[in-house]
Amino acid sequence: MSIALKVQGLSVSVVGKQILKGLDLEVPYGEIHAMMGPNGSGKSTLCHVLTGKSGYEVSGQAFLNGTDLFSLDVDERARLGLLQSFQYPTQVPGVRLEEFLMEATDEAGVDPDEATARIEAVAERFNMVDFLKRSLNTDLSGGEKKRSEIFQMAVLRPRMALLDEIDSGLDIDAVRQVAEEVDEMRSPDLGVLMITHYSRILRYVTPDRIHIMIDGKIVDSGGAELADELESGGYDAVRDRLGLPKAMAAEKTLKPADFFTETPFDV
Amino acid sequence: MKAAYEVFEALSEPTGVEEDWRYVEFSTPFSGLKPVSTPGNPLDSGPFLAALGTNSGHVRIIDGLVIEAESSEASVSRLSSLPDPPTSDRPIPVDHNKLTAAHAAFSNDGVLIDVPPNSVMSSPLVIEVQGVTPDSATFPHVIVRVGENAEALVLVVYRSAEGERLLMVPEIDLRVGDGARLRYLTVQGVDHAATLVVHQRVTLGRDATSRVGEVGLGAKLGRLDLRVDLVGDGSSSEVVGLYFGEGDQTLDYRIVIDHHGKSTSSDVFLKGAVEDDAQSVFTGLLRIERDAQKTSTFETNRNLVLSENAKAHSVPNLEILCDDVVCGHASSVGPLEEDHLYYLQSRGLNKSRAGRLLIRGFFQEVIDRLPIEGLEGPVSEEIFSRFVSAQEEGRVA
Ligand SMILES: Nc1ncnc2c1ncn2[C@@H]1O[C@H](COP(=O)(O)OP(=O)(O)OP(=O)(O)O)[C@@H](O)[C@H]1O
Ligand SMILES: [Mg+2]
Repeated sequence: MSIALKVQGLSVSVVGKQILKGLDLEVPYGEIHAMMGPNGSGKSTLCHVLTGKSGYEVSGQAFLNGTDLFSLDVDERARLGLLQSFQYPTQVPGVRLEEFLMEATDEAGVDPDEATARIEAVAERFNMVDFLKRSLNTDLSGGEKKRSEIFQMAVLRPRMALLDEIDSGLDIDAVRQVAEEVDEMRSPDLGVLMITHYSRILRYVTPDRIHIMIDGKIVDSGGAELADELESGGYDAVRDRLGLPKAMAAEKTLKPADFFTETPFDV
Repeated sequence: MKAAYEVFEALSEPTGVEEDWRYVEFSTPFSGLKPVSTPGNPLDSGPFLAALGTNSGHVRIIDGLVIEAESSEASVSRLSSLPDPPTSDRPIPVDHNKLTAAHAAFSNDGVLIDVPPNSVMSSPLVIEVQGVTPDSATFPHVIVRVGENAEALVLVVYRSAEGERLLMVPEIDLRVGDGARLRYLTVQGVDHAATLVVHQRVTLGRDATSRVGEVGLGAKLGRLDLRVDLVGDGSSSEVVGLYFGEGDQTLDYRIVIDHHGKSTSSDVFLKGAVEDDAQSVFTGLLRIERDAQKTSTFETNRNLVLSENAKAHSVPNLEILCDDVVCGHASSVGPLEEDHLYYLQSRGLNKSRAGRLLIRGFFQEVIDRLPIEGLEGPVSEEIFSRFVSAQEEGRVA
């Protein structure tokens, strides 16, 4: 079976702080992998580095269907089939969802008539029709933003999806719906890495493998039993079993939003 | 006007040191310019008017002189033909600066537009203001009086002869009567060699409303000195504008919104972009007078700086003499936002394409709010094509 995403010895630092510490990961086509890990362990950083966000010092390698990712720009990676559903989708005022998807499908070589039909049909299914004419993610609730991300994925049909907490902020019914959609997209042409904090979503989409990320490394991989262990004993149970040091008490974790502020350069 | 001439002589040209001329170089000295007594050949109406469709009247002021003035829905008179033109009670002080003094001293024509009380204009009254004679200084004057409870639509299009150095200093006096509504849009498309300094006042009666729009595209120096006085209780004002500077243009907006009446409301919303060596200036003062209880006012100015040498200055200000008010301002200056570009690129759009989508999106918000409909297409095309050619020629980052 060919490998959708392969990551080897990936280390990442940002402003001098090391976040990923030699990470290895393989997601074959046709499989859905879940990834769980404490806040600040580096899950979103992994997604951003794979997507191509700037500002990171990166060493190691990553391949998308065999192509070296790190030699490509953000948009080139996307055109090869990589798509990230963001944990915090960016609001882009003035750019309408529909217009944006027409551009993105055009960029992917989809015929405009087909794109229109596809957008309409998928919007119907995701109950997104009212959002098509609105600005991207602008003034959407947390849950609506996540729905919009999965909707875009269904329209754009990636070959490797990085789903960063698509279940956070969703109501109970929406979690089930989104999970079932992901499960339905399962295909031999698609690899999925699904980051989550909750085993609830795993009731509706059964991952082929679960990875546990602690402190910038994947410390364990396995089947459904890992989720059960976490559910009952938390990350300390995993640390105990693997002989890893306990989490430091109440270390303040900073979110990327703490670092990226608008910096006007007027003089 | 002898007195005005003396004021003009006594004042010096702005040097950029004066508070309300900061950042700006006023580089068309009067000494090289001459007045005009016979208007030159009018230019065509340009791409914007072609898109408009019907109008309810047409005024053409060429080199400060009126060559056409008719309307089926308002009474329009040439100021030079009125025995007693209402310019003596102008709301703009003669000594506001050397240019207002020059206007008072040298303006020799213009129009007075009276919109009858309770009437509703069916389509915009179009005023074309053009400067065509090389090395001229001209002073068009426009007064619009909107009668009680009437509704008026006015579109002003500024143009000037290609490549000609000239100075235009129009004075625009908009008086909106009790319960009346004015929608007024300017498309400023003078040639990049011309200097245009507009002094514009809006005076609002009780429960009167004005929506004033500005599309700033042209001029070497294009300046709008706009003051809105919300005199009547319950009056409201909206000022919406966009500008896009390229080459070595300076687009300069000095706005004062002064709230005098009780329960008035106002909103200023301007967005602009600058590329190449262009610069823009926005200063916006929201002033709330002592007795203006229950005022609500807001101003927003957002600027995109698209090239390394381009500059945008944004200075919002509040002056509040009354405490029962709601007010605020928002202002920003910067390049296209990295995280917007990242998001669009992460879905497969290349950087140029993402930039174009963001430029369209940035201005769409303003275009949707322009007070006169019908010009959205050509306005967004003009802005878009400026950006695209800059992209193609590598002039934007
Ligand atoms: N740009 C940045 N500058 C400095 N520190 C950063 C930056 N981006 C991330 N970090 C830090 O890197 C660590 C990992 O962050 P990341 O967002 O990848 O965590 P996460 O595993 O996704 O957490 P969560 O479960 O809370 O979403 C955190 O400590 C975070 O503060
Ligand atoms: Mg995260």
